[in-house]
Amino acid sequence: MIAGLPLAFGAPLVLAALVLLPAIWWLLKLTPPKPRLESFPPTRILAEIARRDEQPARSPWWLTALRLLLAGLVILALAAPIWRPTGESAPGSGPLLVVIDNDWASARDWETRIDTARRIVQLAESAGRPVGLIATAEPANQEFAPTDGAAIRTRLDALAPRPYPTNRAAIAAALRSTANATGFGGVAWLSNGLGGQDAEDFGRFLESSIQAPVTVYGSDGKALLGLAAPVATADALTLSAIRGDGAAASGGTLVARDMRGRSVGEAPFAFKPGELRTDAVFNLPTELRNEIVRVEIAGQHTAGAVQLLDDRFKRRRIGLISGASSDNAQPLLSPLYYITRAVQPFADVIEPRDANAALAVPQMIEAGAAVIAMADIGTLTPDVEDKLASWVEAGGTLLRFAGPRLAAASADTDTLIPVRLREGGRVLGGSLSWSSPQPLASFAATSPFAGLAIARDIEVRRQVLAEPDANLPARTWAALADGTPLVTAAPLGKGWLVLFHVTADASWSNLPLSGTFVEMLRRISAFASVPLMQDSAAKTVEGAAGATLPPYRLLDGFGHFISSDPMARPLPASGAPVATSAEHPPGLYGSEDGFRAINVLAPDATLPPFDASAMSRAELRPYPTTAPIDLSPWLLLAALVCLIADALAVLWMNGGLRMRRHATASVILMLTLMHGFAPPPAHADAASDQFAMDAVNTSRLAYVRTGNSEIDDMSEAGLAGLARALSARTAMEPDNPLGVDVEKDELSFFPLLYWPIDPSSPMPSSQTLAKIDAYMKQGGSILFDTRDELERAPGSTGFGGTPAAERLRAMLSGLDIPPLEPVPGNHVLTKAFYLLEDFPGRYSGGPLWVEASPPEDDATAAQRPARPGDGVSSILITENDMAAAWATDPDGRYLVPTVPPDPRQRELAYRTGINIVMYTLTGNYKADQVHVPALLERLGQ
Amino acid sequence: MQATSRVGTNLAEAKGLALRLPDLLVEARRVATTVLAGWHGRRRAGPGETFWQFRPFVAGEAPGRIDWRRSARDDHFYIREREWEAAHTIWLAADLSRSMDFRSRLALASKRDRAVVLLLALGDLLAAAGERIGLLGLSDPILSRNAAERLAETLAHFDTDQPALPAALRLSRFADLVVIGDFLDPLDEIEARLAEYARHGATVHLVEIRDPVEETFPYAGRTEFRDPESGALYTIGRAEQIAEDYRKRLVARRETLAATCRRLGWTYLTHRTDHPATEPLLALHARLSARTTQGDRA
Repeated sequence: MIAGLPLAFGAPLVLAALVLLPAIWWLLKLTPPKPRLESFPPTRILAEIARRDEQPARSPWWLTALRLLLAGLVILALAAPIWRPTGESAPGSGPLLVVIDNDWASARDWETRIDTARRIVQLAESAGRPVGLIATAEPANQEFAPTDGAAIRTRLDALAPRPYPTNRAAIAAALRSTANATGFGGVAWLSNGLGGQDAEDFGRFLESSIQAPVTVYGSDGKALLGLAAPVATADALTLSAIRGDGAAASGGTLVARDMRGRSVGEAPFAFKPGELRTDAVFNLPTELRNEIVRVEIAGQHTAGAVQLLDDRFKRRRIGLISGASSDNAQPLLSPLYYITRAVQPFADVIEPRDANAALAVPQMIEAGAAVIAMADIGTLTPDVEDKLASWVEAGGTLLRFAGPRLAAASADTDTLIPVRLREGGRVLGGSLSWSSPQPLASFAATSPFAGLAIARDIEVRRQVLAEPDANLPARTWAALADGTPLVTAAPLGKGWLVLFHVTADASWSNLPLSGTFVEMLRRISAFASVPLMQDSAAKTVEGAAGATLPPYRLLDGFGHFISSDPMARPLPASGAPVATSAEHPPGLYGSEDGFRAINVLAPDATLPPFDASAMSRAELRPYPTTAPIDLSPWLLLAALVCLIADALAVLWMNGGLRMRRHATASVILMLTLMHGFAPPPAHADAASDQFAMDAVNTSRLAYVRTGNSEIDDMSEAGLAGLARALSARTAMEPDNPLGVDVEKDELSFFPLLYWPIDPSSPMPSSQTLAKIDAYMKQGGSILFDTRDELERAPGSTGFGGTPAAERLRAMLSGLDIPPLEPVPGNHVLTKAFYLLEDFPGRYSGGPLWVEASPPEDDATAAQRPARPGDGVSSILITENDMAAAWATDPDGRYLVPTVPPDPRQRELAYRTGINIVMYTLTGNYKADQVHVPALLERLGQ
Repeated sequence: MQATSRVGTNLAEAKGLALRLPDLLVEARRVATTVLAGWHGRRRAGPGETFWQFRPFVAGEAPGRIDWRRSARDDHFYIREREWEAAHTIWLAADLSRSMDFRSRLALASKRDRAVVLLLALGDLLAAAGERIGLLGLSDPILSRNAAERLAETLAHFDTDQPALPAALRLSRFADLVVIGDFLDPLDEIEARLAEYARHGATVHLVEIRDPVEETFPYAGRTEFRDPESGALYTIGRAEQIAEDYRKRLVARRETLAATCRRLGWTYLTHRTDHPATEPLLALHARLSARTTQGDRA
């Protein structure tokens, strides 16, 4: 390491090459960049010009400096510089023992520890020393014997922090014999930074049993944070964060998560200087608090910074029901008032909306009550009793208070009572009694009340008495001074029946006024479990003593949930506290419906820092806080940048940049444009080819797609119906009609286009109009259908006046349209296939407009039955909605009625369609055909 | 050693030129044909072969000149006149030195090829017009229809190491001289040779052939220029810096030469090898025909 700089060189000898830099400088100075050689006939003229501008045959100084810098960078990079070297060492000589703590506390910077271990192993391996590896959280039967570095590295790779404490003592015992046999020459202990008796013992063992230099990697500078068991208080869930090093103030955030890992709430905590323990409080609604399964310190990835919560920390819900009339005017006389006030600090009260027990009890059960308190209810209706009984058997706790009604009830009829009661009550210390009011005397040791302080000022003046029998002492949880029970309890199924032999108000005793009452109710509440109505799940959780809880969700060393651990064993269901170990790693045991949480840190856990004073000879070192950075790649990168800069400079000096500027620009431009102007994909052509094939392979009728799907569907159906009529009646057998986009598709395949006018469709562009014009000029015919005969003003004979007609007029105004006329009586259209007088569609009465034929003199007109239209009218305009009249569904039923509904009009509409198709297909051939009789006659046949 | 190799390269270059000559000849024919259509005769009676006109016999003329066939048709005597086809001597010279053997990427042809094409095409044109043409310093003037081929043969036999401006040994009065070259020799040498031509009384047409690179000087950066003729090297650190000076100097040279020509009544024509060869040929043709018609009128 260089003094003052955290820089070290892996190959410092290479630095000697820096001596070469002056030589390089001299060489660079000697050889200027080679100029480009150009043959140039007028060199003589050049020679006359520029004597003054004699170029020095040397490189400019900055280019030389750049190249020297380049060379220097390369030399430095080859010397393998390392920024902030870590400075591990493999202590001693001979076989090296590497001890690594892989408990939960080492998970906070596991990578650093493993990297440190790898570097130490690397050092030992390069020195030819065998290495033994011990992971202190692993079982004591692991391999201690030193082997070569590759095997150790493989084991290091497989090593992971465990979620439980180390078992150094067992390992020390197992190691003692191996250490004596092997004779390790040095020890490197990568400790977890936690002190305590265990660590000190192990340190002393290492020093005493292995007579070799010991290096201990202790603190890593980061405070170790842990999370102790929570306390569920009235309105908050409180957790204690603990830390090992209490010097400075610090803080953080606790995050509470539910079963699926979603964040439920956050709570900040802050350590004051010197403080080792601080509280964080979650103020959350009960429903949310009950969702909490896991609380963790944000940013701390250790199993110790995670606390798992189970049912014990859920706030219980207590249902209250009273036999007394609910008189809210005098609350102090209501027994429920005292119970409510007593349980409010630690539980939620469910007060049924309905006083009727038959309705209130199911409500409370459904609301998830853990305890149902019944104040002075004597008799229950049988179905309510059955419901309560099954609820208690499923795990509910029924808490009953005595009272006049209970005392009056028959003991035989009421089954939900832990002990048999004598009928009537007992009055102590009354004016007619010798006895005095009895104080509370004892709590049974097996009861949940065990350990409660006995308040001497409690006096019971009246009570209900139990029939003395053999079970009574076992069922008594609290007794008065004269031995009569104050509280009795008996299990029923998985639940409990608890009876206070006094009332819940102050009329029989002053117990409900005392703090003991609150504590007793708290204990009962904590004792009660939430009844699980599903039997199968309940069995696994609250089974007999021999039952076990299988691992459900376990924590790994980093505090993440894992689904399984091959070493984990099921937990006995006894409820006894369990120390975490390899067999019982922290986690949730049980099933989804009920589980028990095992945590790493006990409620009173501390995290003492590691104290190196116990080890007199050991060298104590910190873990490197940052990994060393290998600077060679960066130096080589800088050298490359210099190289590029040098190349650019040389290029610039030789004028290359100027000469190639256009080329570069054009290359960039080309690359840019290559994306934008890629040749159009070939499938567009394929689509139009397909269209052409479809149109050409068979003869088809075609309609123009307007974009209005209603009109288009009607056009298609109409042309399909016309095609059927054509196939049935004529020699033409068209295939299914084809929709045509006039803007894009080729029109020349179709002799006739049916074009319904949609006034709301956009006006065709001028290119489209030009295309239509060309189509009509090249022999195509278009049948425009304005479909507005009904809208036309009656009596108007001209064309126009409706939106569709106006649209058509606007459209045609851009086209070269000859004069039009209604079909005259001797037009070919009237004779092309059928003889027709008019041309109805769905509507009748609208004329069919065609190109006006040239006027002819009357003399010839009289002789000719048909007018010789030369060619076919390229435009036909109707307003009778032809397609609607032709339209049929595939079964041949007409889609739209004609107006008026006249079958003959339908038939005439078909005949009109057939005549139009024939007219467009045959042209004036039909006009000539009318002369056939005359021709035959002239031929003399 | 050096001399031998020099001769060798010259020979090789001459061979190369000779090899290219048939192609160049064809090219020259093609170029000349495009111009030939506009070529006219003298338009006056004189000694010649083609018929010009019949004119009435004037008493005192030699009876032998009477065209009896024409005169038999009526009572007058006619004399058949022929168009004057006096041959004019036009000397041609092309600079075929090494400096002419230069072609940049921008040019259509090397300067020497362009010069030879011009020379042969002009020769073809002039020969077709019946002029006597000769290569100044290389051959005698000849009057022949295939003069262009013979010019080419002559060129093929001489090596390229001729002086850019040949000596005016046989230059005669009233002759025309067309010199095609790049005129890169020192100005005083050129001026001296032009003065020599002027003393011989010839009318000179200078055609300066330039490669586009020589005009625009598109060089930049550190460049070493080599003179192909002398082999001299000249290195420039930032070539773009002297481009302006160079162009000015080139224009100044051209101005000087053009001024000399104007003063002597000569013509000066510049041509860049990235332009087609017909351009200077047309211009030359225009100048030569203007000269001849002018001379005839005088």
